[in-house]
Amino acid sequence: MLSHLVSALAFVVFFILQTTIFSQTRLVSGTADIILLFLAAWSLQEQVKNSWVWTVISGVLVSLVSAMPFFTPLIGYLGVVGISKGLQRRVWRTPLLAMLIVVLVGTFFQQTVYVLALIITGAPISWLESLDRVILPSALLNLIFSLPIYAIAKDLAGRISPQEVEV
Amino acid sequence: MKFLNSKNIQTLIIIAAVAGLLFLALSGYLTPVFNLSVNPLISFQSWLSVRYLSARDFMTTPGDVTVLREQNALLESQLTQLQTQLIVMEERLGEAQVCFALLDFGRTNPQYNYIAATVIGREISPFLQYIIIDRGSNHGVMYGMPVVTQQGLVGRVDAVIAGAARVKLITDSTSVVNIRLQSAGIEAQLVGSLTGDVSLDMIPLDTVVELGDVVLTSGLGGNFPPNIFVGQVLSTQRRENALFQTASVQPIVDFESINAVLVISDFEAVDITPLIPGP
Repeated sequence: MLSHLVSALAFVVFFILQTTIFSQTRLVSGTADIILLFLAAWSLQEQVKNSWVWTVISGVLVSLVSAMPFFTPLIGYLGVVGISKGLQRRVWRTPLLAMLIVVLVGTFFQQTVYVLALIITGAPISWLESLDRVILPSALLNLIFSLPIYAIAKDLAGRISPQEVEV
Repeated sequence: MKFLNSKNIQTLIIIAAVAGLLFLALSGYLTPVFNLSVNPLISFQSWLSVRYLSARDFMTTPGDVTVLREQNALLESQLTQLQTQLIVMEERLGEAQVCFALLDFGRTNPQYNYIAATVIGREISPFLQYIIIDRGSNHGVMYGMPVVTQQGLVGRVDAVIAGAARVKLITDSTSVVNIRLQSAGIEAQLVGSLTGDVSLDMIPLDTVVELGDVVLTSGLGGNFPPNIFVGQVLSTQRRENALFQTASVQPIVDFESINAVLVISDFEAVDITPLIPGP
């Protein structure tokens, strides 16, 4: 229950920060997506069991607010958490490295889904321009912000349910 | 002869000596002597005075320091309060300036009714150029309403909920605005882009477009009212074998720093989609 409450509060805070501050902080034309970063970091925590639920909730809510078509934010976030869960089992000894890989691969996946959706709906954008102007700068910004977000997520998860230490 | 006794002679000698010294002093002959004898005295007196004053201050200071510290704390507190007030006043001044500018725009364009709104957010996806405003259907905002600032055209309402609305900016890559070039007297289309730059398309090849020509909405298509300022032509491009020429436009509105907007509430967008023949 506490985990859900914290997830809900964290989502609200990160959503507000995203729409008010981070969407306006641009590098070329790219922006950081701290909701994605939080979902990635949250799902990498071993104690957290509800990450899929909150990924779906966050994705649906962001899709309702965003002008992106076909619930693409939901697809993007599900993909990121999927990558995160897959990596969690493989590189669980170095979670920070896992976080960086998830953020990098997840950002490319999410942005590719966005570009595809926009092209399908008829937006006149090109792959090369998208990569050059949006995807690469966004990936860089996400990598920069991934470490503090990971620290926040790890701290929150640790407070909710401290990890058992085998003696 | 009693007058010339030894005592009187001694007195006279002293008087004469003093008079002589006075005469010599007044005439300046004794200045080197005074310098040699008086300056060390003055130096010593200064040294002693400074030490005395320091000692006196040291003895009387504790009371003053306490008072001064109290006064300092009080002044610092007042300074903090005043700085806070200053920040609040500056914020209000900024808001007032925006409101006055919007009001001025409303006065100069009295043919429309406006709903003032504050920008509270931006689109999450970096591929799209949208803003979120704090006025929705509860305040009379409806889908398709044009949105302007005191400077010029911003975009149109794309989605509405009870207390907020999403506005598609004219810089969005999917945005198309029918415009008119004031000097050239021709109509064209203003299109957005992924990077937020806007350009003109569909300009006939035989038209001479001057740099700096003013771009206004034409009203064609029924999406925007006519004669709203959009920007100025920066440069023109002609490509071989192209049917039309294009031009870069500098928008008059700074889309990165929009704080408040006006929604034109009595303009009904016309949906001409049914009139467009299908494939």
